[in-house]
Amino acid sequence: MKIDLSYAWQALIRNWPLFWYGIKVTLAFAVVGTVFGFLIGLVIGAIRSVPVDPLDSPFVKFLKKLGRAITGLYIWVFRGTPMMIQAAFIYYLFRPLVHWDPITAGFIIISINTGAYMAEILRSGIQSVDPGQIEACKAIGMSNFQAMVFVIFPQAIKNTFPAIGNQLVVNLKDSCMMNVISVTELFFQSSSIAGSNMRFPEIYLDTAILYLVLTTLATWILNLIERRISRDESETGKKKKLFMEMSS
Amino acid sequence: MSDPVIKVEHLKKSFGSQEVLHDIDFSIEKGEVVSIIGSSGSGKSTLLRCINLLEIPDSGVISFHGQDILNSSAKPTDYRSKVGMVFQNFNLFNNKNVLDNCILGQRKVLKRSKEEADKIARGHLERVGMSEFLKKPSTKLSGGQKQRVAIARALSMDPEVLLFDEPTSALDPEMVGEVLDVMKKLAESGLTMIVVTHEMQFAKDVSDRVIFMDQGVIAEEGTPDEVFNHPKNERTRQFLSRFLENTKEA
Repeated sequence: MKIDLSYAWQALIRNWPLFWYGIKVTLAFAVVGTVFGFLIGLVIGAIRSVPVDPLDSPFVKFLKKLGRAITGLYIWVFRGTPMMIQAAFIYYLFRPLVHWDPITAGFIIISINTGAYMAEILRSGIQSVDPGQIEACKAIGMSNFQAMVFVIFPQAIKNTFPAIGNQLVVNLKDSCMMNVISVTELFFQSSSIAGSNMRFPEIYLDTAILYLVLTTLATWILNLIERRISRDESETGKKKKLFMEMSS
Repeated sequence: MSDPVIKVEHLKKSFGSQEVLHDIDFSIEKGEVVSIIGSSGSGKSTLLRCINLLEIPDSGVISFHGQDILNSSAKPTDYRSKVGMVFQNFNLFNNKNVLDNCILGQRKVLKRSKEEADKIARGHLERVGMSEFLKKPSTKLSGGQKQRVAIARALSMDPEVLLFDEPTSALDPEMVGEVLDVMKKLAESGLTMIVVTHEMQFAKDVSDRVIFMDQGVIAEEGTPDEVFNHPKNERTRQFLSRFLENTKEA
């Protein structure tokens, strides 16, 4: 076991443009995957938590059950298989048909994969909202859809924000699986650099440190946002109170 | 007798194998204030929730101005918007401030303009004495304040009937009065109200009619004087005497 730390440092500097390119692609995958995964998860999570209402027509009841079955299948498959296999399978399956480049395919695959996790996170978030909230919506004549969008989602998202944010950290790391379809993300770049210099431990040490920096930064930013969200709640109250005291 | 606003006939509801409501007949006319009293588990809240379709009856007919709402093409959302509901646990929208709680339904269900909804909401919040808290998050209010906002939210929809499901049961004793005062004012203004309550004094003073429910049936029904001072049914007498004892102890 031998590792040359000064070589690791020099290699990082020398190959920085290549590393930097990989970092940008990895960041793009993490952000795109998390944002679109969130949107997919919102729709799927909503479909999965809409209760079958005794007042629904048989057709609507059927649709709801069908929706639940299809989304269940989706979550089962995408959470139950490695993203690397999903990427390889979907990319090569559709390549003759749509002639896509790896980046486009990768963006779509990471979004669909993240969507499956987000759906379960948001479903639990939706179910954790007090049932009285939806009853109150119904009691003033709102539809299920309106209740979801205007009352339930905002609360569900707030309640599950830490888990949603964690998906960004997961995607920063898991986007490395996209190297299987030759996406030039950070790990793919590192492999090329390591291979061409025949210095594996040093280059992968650099890579590990770069990933650690990325995930640490992401965690830090997420914590900041989280604190902002919870502070907003207590402080708007305080500010308004102060304002009222001044104006009365 | 004029045309009833809501008429309930042969209503039955079970949860699992337990029948909670047995063959209930009940109606309310415009401007009437009806109180429903009875011990816990007698089915009074379930009856109220059936009237608002939050529970779906197993059988029976509920009609609104003569129109059957369970088996008609009319959407349940339209009917619900005309029958307001005030809950025991307030159920204010936790993600909205006081004013927005009263605006949301007007905008999304009644499709009112922003200005109109705002004006109406402010009017009703003033009526329940909450106009100094318009921008306060609903989660930061006391129980009594929450319930007054909930009443304003229901009123903002211009309901023809307002249902109250034990509106003071979750409140600290010192906050019960502020809510009952608002309800008294509403009753005097001629609003049609059905109130499920444990506040006997309120039922006695404010109602036009009192219904005593026991084990899923309407055991006794009449004017407050008839029910409280000359109860015919043995169960009613027992219930009321137990209540009088309790209030004496307290």
